Amino acid sequence: MSKTINVNGIEYPIDVDEQMPLLWFLRDKLEFTGTKFGCGNGLCGACTVHVDGQATRSCITPVSTLANKNITTIEGLSEHGEHPLQKAWLENNVPQCGYCQAGQIMNAASLLATNSSPTDDEIVSAMQGNICRCGTYQRIKKAIRVAADELAKEV
Amino acid sequence: MNKHILDAMSAYYDANPIESSIVSQPATIAFDNVSRRNFLKVAGIASSGLVMGVSLPSFAGTANKGSAAAEFNPNAFIHLSENGDTLIYCGRCEMGQGISTALPAAVADEMEADWSKVSIEQADGNEAKFGSQATGGSASIRKMFEPMRKAGAAAKEMLILAAAKVWQVNASDCYAENHFVINKQNQQKLSYGELATLAANIEVPIDPKLKSKSQYRYIGKALDRHDQGKVVVGKRVYGVDTKLPGMKYAAIVHCPVLGGKLKSVDNSQALKMSGVIDVVEISPIKHPFSSIGAVAVVADNSWTAQQAVKQLKIEWDLGANAVYNTQEYKAQLVKNVETEAQLVTARGDIKKAFSNAATTLSATYTGGHLSHAPMEPNASVVWVQKDSCEVWASTQSPADIQKVLAQYLKRKPEDINVHVMMAGGAFGRKFKCDYVHEAAVISEKINAPVQLTWTREEDMRTGFYHSINAQHIQASMDEQGKVTGWLHRAAFPSINTLFDASVSRPSKNNFSEIDEHPFGIKNYRSESGESPAHTRIGWYRAVYAIFYGFAMGTFADELADKAQQDTVKFLHSIYDANTNAEQQQNTKRSKAVLDLAAKGAGWGKKLPKGEGIGIAVHYSFRSYVAMAVHVKVDGDNIKVLNVDCAIDCGQVLNTDGATAQMEGAVVMGMSLALATEITFRDGAVVNSNFHDYPVMRLKDMPKVTVHIVDSDEKPTGLGEPGVSPFAPALSNAVYAASGKRYRDLPFKPLKV
Repeated sequence: MSKTINVNGIEYPIDVDEQMPLLWFLRDKLEFTGTKFGCGNGLCGACTVHVDGQATRSCITPVSTLANKNITTIEGLSEHGEHPLQKAWLENNVPQCGYCQAGQIMNAASLLATNSSPTDDEIVSAMQGNICRCGTYQRIKKAIRVAADELAKEV
Repeated sequence: MNKHILDAMSAYYDANPIESSIVSQPATIAFDNVSRRNFLKVAGIASSGLVMGVSLPSFAGTANKGSAAAEFNPNAFIHLSENGDTLIYCGRCEMGQGISTALPAAVADEMEADWSKVSIEQADGNEAKFGSQATGGSASIRKMFEPMRKAGAAAKEMLILAAAKVWQVNASDCYAENHFVINKQNQQKLSYGELATLAANIEVPIDPKLKSKSQYRYIGKALDRHDQGKVVVGKRVYGVDTKLPGMKYAAIVHCPVLGGKLKSVDNSQALKMSGVIDVVEISPIKHPFSSIGAVAVVADNSWTAQQAVKQLKIEWDLGANAVYNTQEYKAQLVKNVETEAQLVTARGDIKKAFSNAATTLSATYTGGHLSHAPMEPNASVVWVQKDSCEVWASTQSPADIQKVLAQYLKRKPEDINVHVMMAGGAFGRKFKCDYVHEAAVISEKINAPVQLTWTREEDMRTGFYHSINAQHIQASMDEQGKVTGWLHRAAFPSINTLFDASVSRPSKNNFSEIDEHPFGIKNYRSESGESPAHTRIGWYRAVYAIFYGFAMGTFADELADKAQQDTVKFLHSIYDANTNAEQQQNTKRSKAVLDLAAKGAGWGKKLPKGEGIGIAVHYSFRSYVAMAVHVKVDGDNIKVLNVDCAIDCGQVLNTDGATAQMEGAVVMGMSLALATEITFRDGAVVNSNFHDYPVMRLKDMPKVTVHIVDSDEKPTGLGEPGVSPFAPALSNAVYAASGKRYRDLPFKPLKV
């Protein structure tokens, strides 16, 4: 029985070189292209996905270490794009080129999952690993604040 | 091929068949003659509805209507279906700047289209149909605003005429509003969808009437980016995301030194790796924007290809540029501008101005090479077949891809089919599509579609770099602190070196931004210092304005300090001294944005110790931008607190898009002012990734407030001009806060 990995609720066999990073398994094997290649070294955060809910840099995580784990990519964050962060991203017109935004949103979603009312400093600190070259940081900060406040209301 | 990709591809092709059929039949509508026949032909391609390929006189305005010899540039493409759905093509390339929202919104506005019924597609490379698609220099809005509006206005008039026919009334008895034509007499309505097929049989109006500003529905308002909904669910498709059946993946390595050659490659280890398909040597392609030569590995996935590249044993003959060291080169540039150089432009009598001066001041400013480093590294998919060549690329210049591949494959440019994909940032790098040409070479060799993705390291080390530079300014002032003379010497490897390797200093053309600067200086001289190129030069967002804006904006502050005057007042006096009638508009608008930024920042207010506000204004790409930067300085630690940015770009199209461009310009300006620099040692780039090319991160984001001048002037672009005022304003702010003056970019270079 080969090892399997669960991506967005579906089991897939891990039938590639054990060292292949999750990023390339997702992009080239499963063809989930929402997760982006930016640096290949865990420096920019564009490839961020969730492994059992935890934000993880998929470009430096060998897929073989993820057997029986649950992976969530941007395509699986919510069924119809209704996660509070996705809504806040649109309300605040965050994206420019948009290339880094999947990683930004996945990173922020992991933050809010563990800390539903982060301080501004906690937001800044959590998002420090995600680069945006278009410079949407001001709107990213605002959107996370809005989403966090929205979540706080729901509780 | 996975199902979701097949669905996406099939949706893509569903959206494009009309486009491809039009490409095969060059049917366009000219406004002045025989349009009816062509028009029907076009309309006939779609089974129903109004399909408009609108031709307008060339932008230069030289076209003579009615003359058989007149040239016509088709520039917009509207497809109105019988159900009212309206498809508008964007001819210019989208890389995050928002052009694919701004221009179609101008079409929709004049057409009185309901924005919720409008969808937007990126046009394939086809300059015969869409006009120039080369996207850079903040030119898209400046060049396309009026033609796109006319395209929309023509469609609206045709729909009105169609409705008038139905009701058998005069067109003047009808008006269009939000996707309907309304009969003034009885308030009856016909929807655009109902009128579409009928409208297709109406003669295209020669000179459609455009709206006045007060009638704008979308222009000048805040619009959402048309496809941002796709971004947040990971469905916006970039050049790097293309998947095709049977597609192979390639990784690449280039000679680290420009002009070097491949001596030998041992590919035996690479070929042994599971999943590796082939190793392809790519000879240099003789075109200024093309490949310098490389070795690529093809595999069944990108990661294996990247790993296999590391297993290649390559010997390069590094060539003459192996002597290039940027630290020494910069020091040499400084010497070259601190001694007399080659005259470019002279006005008045600068010697006399200096000999009569009450005071003089001089300073030298420097800056390093920059790499564009968009988040999406260079990537494309190319499929070369015997009778076709298809390209999916993030690009700023599809026509250049067509030209170069036509040359390489010995085919016609129009036979190279370029799908312009969303670019994950570009900033000038994707104007030069060496990465696409390389993918074509590989595809031809292995006879399969190929996705070539450069690693970040290759992207950073095989760039077209913004110029390393040095500038020396000397100025003379009279007793009142009026500037009487200005000598400006600049040395930087010019972009002209791409086209002519013998170029060894900036040309007169490279000086126009300072020679024609709206400062009023009677006695002026510019000189060009020796500065041969040892690497490929390609402009970065803001181009010359990065270093000219830095030198002039910082020096103006230094002069004000020397004259013991307030910088804003001092800048006013330099602009006021400009007596050139042709530049009165420039000086007036420069001063207005300066004042707006100053007001926003509370210029002159009392600040705590260690804080300061600096200001700078720069005119470039026909737009005016001023920034006031408020910093807190503690030793070497510079914290930017607030930035007030004022812009005058004439009639703004999308206020939210304009604001976003400025917020981004601050971030890019801050990266290059404080931290990013490409360093060469022994001819090769030392930097490799974001750890040693530390672009700005979220922690350093200041509060940015954007003030937009409400203007009726013709619109000008905003992609480029926002970047330049930041660095000088920051230098001036740090000086105000601490007394320390930074004249070298970046202020805090990384030791690499």
